[in-house]
Amino acid sequence: MARRQFLAILRKDLLTELRTRETLLAMFLFAVLALVVFHYAFDPRGTLDMTPYAGGMLWVVFLFAALLGLNRSFAQEKDEGCLDGLLASPVDRVVVFAAKACANLLFLALVQLLVVPLFTLFFVQHGYAGHAGGIALVVLLADAGIAVLGTLLATLAVNTRARDLLLPIVFLPLVVPLLVAATTATTAIIAEGAGLGAIGGRLLFLGAYDVVFLVAAYGTYDYLLGE
Amino acid sequence: MDASVWRRLLSAPALLAEAAVLLLGGFLLAFWYAPTDASSMGFSQKIFYFHTPIAECALVAYAVAFVAGVLYLRHQDAKYDRLGLAAVRLGLVFSLLVMGTGMIWGKAAWGTWWAWEPRLTTFLIACVLYAAYFVVRSTVEDEGRRATFAAVYAIIAFVDVPITFFATRYLPEGLHPVVFTSSGTGMAGSMLVAFLVSMAGMTLLLAGLIRLDVHVQELRLELEEFKRSLERGPL
Amino acid sequence: MSESMRAPVGQDQAEDATIRLASVSVRYRVPRERMASLKEYTIRWIQRRVQYVDFWALEEIDLAVERGEIFGVVGPNGAGKSTLLRVLATLSTPSSGSVRVAGTDPRQDPTPIRRAVGFIAHSPLLYPELTARENLRFYGDLYGVPDAAARSDALLERVELDTRRNDRVRTFSRGMRQRLAIARALLHRPRVLLLDEPHAGLDPHAVDILDGLLAEVRTDHTFVMVTHSLERGLQWATQVIVLAAGEVAYAAPVVGEGGVAQPGAVAPDEMAAACRRAMGGGPEGAC
Repeated sequence: MARRQFLAILRKDLLTELRTRETLLAMFLFAVLALVVFHYAFDPRGTLDMTPYAGGMLWVVFLFAALLGLNRSFAQEKDEGCLDGLLASPVDRVVVFAAKACANLLFLALVQLLVVPLFTLFFVQHGYAGHAGGIALVVLLADAGIAVLGTLLATLAVNTRARDLLLPIVFLPLVVPLLVAATTATTAIIAEGAGLGAIGGRLLFLGAYDVVFLVAAYGTYDYLLGE
Repeated sequence: MDASVWRRLLSAPALLAEAAVLLLGGFLLAFWYAPTDASSMGFSQKIFYFHTPIAECALVAYAVAFVAGVLYLRHQDAKYDRLGLAAVRLGLVFSLLVMGTGMIWGKAAWGTWWAWEPRLTTFLIACVLYAAYFVVRSTVEDEGRRATFAAVYAIIAFVDVPITFFATRYLPEGLHPVVFTSSGTGMAGSMLVAFLVSMAGMTLLLAGLIRLDVHVQELRLELEEFKRSLERGPL
Repeated sequence: MSESMRAPVGQDQAEDATIRLASVSVRYRVPRERMASLKEYTIRWIQRRVQYVDFWALEEIDLAVERGEIFGVVGPNGAGKSTLLRVLATLSTPSSGSVRVAGTDPRQDPTPIRRAVGFIAHSPLLYPELTARENLRFYGDLYGVPDAAARSDALLERVELDTRRNDRVRTFSRGMRQRLAIARALLHRPRVLLLDEPHAGLDPHAVDILDGLLAEVRTDHTFVMVTHSLERGLQWATQVIVLAAGEVAYAAPVVGEGGVAQPGAVAPDEMAAACRRAMGGGPEGAC
């Protein structure tokens, strides 16, 4: 029953987004523009080798694109008043959380898939020193953390007066550890060709981070959606 | 000693008085009893007797907010919300003091106002994090919901503090001297005494201030209740 | 067709479609900007904080609804009718008092209540980018309806929307959305139906469809219907309650069908008069 409900909510969110494509488009455009701005901010004459900073820039772009997407999590339910429909049904609140987090994860991953090639084109002149697969692993674990924490906070934020404005304020400080791990690992792979062994500690950290906030979400989500 | 004596000893004014005594004692011990540090830091090391207790008290305050948050979610009793608010407020104040004393120490000992090392960075993040707590509170109008959201946020934020600390430790250790290592404290006995006295005093100060803050909140609520009853008109 | 509309017959607990409210109150504390008068100017700087006022959406409501009853709730705007329904739908928690819907206390376990209750709210609770069929399928999955596909098709036909089943709800008129919302509410065969002004915005034909559906599922079900129109309420109700400013202003059973009088039952005109009296001669449209 929970699985059926989970899939139903996930399917609804995916269908709705794929039909309007509003959020995905906004996320993607924002990412591209951010890349352009970074170029003019840090290396306007195009003389520097930006490879050591590649990891950091990439994750800043991902993070802000993610914020755009996270706001969308409950926007529809709030606008159409459909949240009541969801809450009046016998669905467990945690299932709602899981489905929303999954949807956010998928959207973020989709945008990242489109952004990384562009990013490589713009900033990584000498190719990746390390294995691209390593980056995929980092991205996967970090995305999970962003989705879990972001969905949790988006639920909180959307129920306040400030809505979209509150999310960055609460999200950014909490996501700093994840950012540190992700950027250092990514830069290590891109610039220094580090293998899995070298970044293993950071991957473990990302995994632990994900688990910790999953537990926190599981414990508190009922209260967030209740009245 | 029976219960009423304990209650008087633990009331806000008593706590503050006890704290004052201990802090004064710690101050005197730190400057006149404990030897000057043998390392290059010399006299400026003395700030350690205040800086570190303040830091640990900030963390204790955040822990109190965490527990208050959990208790509120379980029992839905507004007194836990008041406790959480007081704890976060004081935790934030203490954190700012940590940053301040830390920067002073840094300038005196290493010649630089700021260094990106784990402990300072963690406290910086904590300041931002708990400042956001007040932003969250201000954006929710309904009382019950405000308390719920604040409780959830306090829980998440406290969980994040040790994580942030571990994360920033990935970067090289940096300039911050490590005093408490696993092989025991690196301090001479007399320094330890001064430190512990100061630590105890600071903790009592925290406890007293939290109690005071909660008391003020309750008074304010009574006042509002009273004003409301006046508005309803004479009986 | 009408067979499939009825709730499944199970054991006693599963059949329970009663509602009990005792001393239920819902209180909100909302901020009010403080307006200091000139006389208080000197202490205004202390009072600059925003003050809170108590708003009692519902105050000490007692009610009992038995299985098979249709309970009408009438009253002016802001009387707390919607809040009452929300409490019954487990969307709001009362500040005090006890609630039992379908034999369960929502504070202990709201899930069986949610399964047993169908809710037609002010907004249709439909997703505009999904088609009619997809909307119903979504709610079917949420409620775990075993024969969701077949039942959705049957209901779509019943509310005369089957020709538009693959069109996005965004393209529907208000009346069509309301009809779809009714289908949505009945999809999981609820024993208790909560209706918040279900006839609002419906053209006469849609009203007929709704009335037809309600008549079909009347037996074995319990209804709580909020309505602005007293005539509509009396047409259906077995018991009517008048809510004004969060309190029960008047309550009485109504003369049954076929003119069978229940104890204390009241004839419609008398009911209408009492209603107006209770609301202190309020605006005509509200009663």
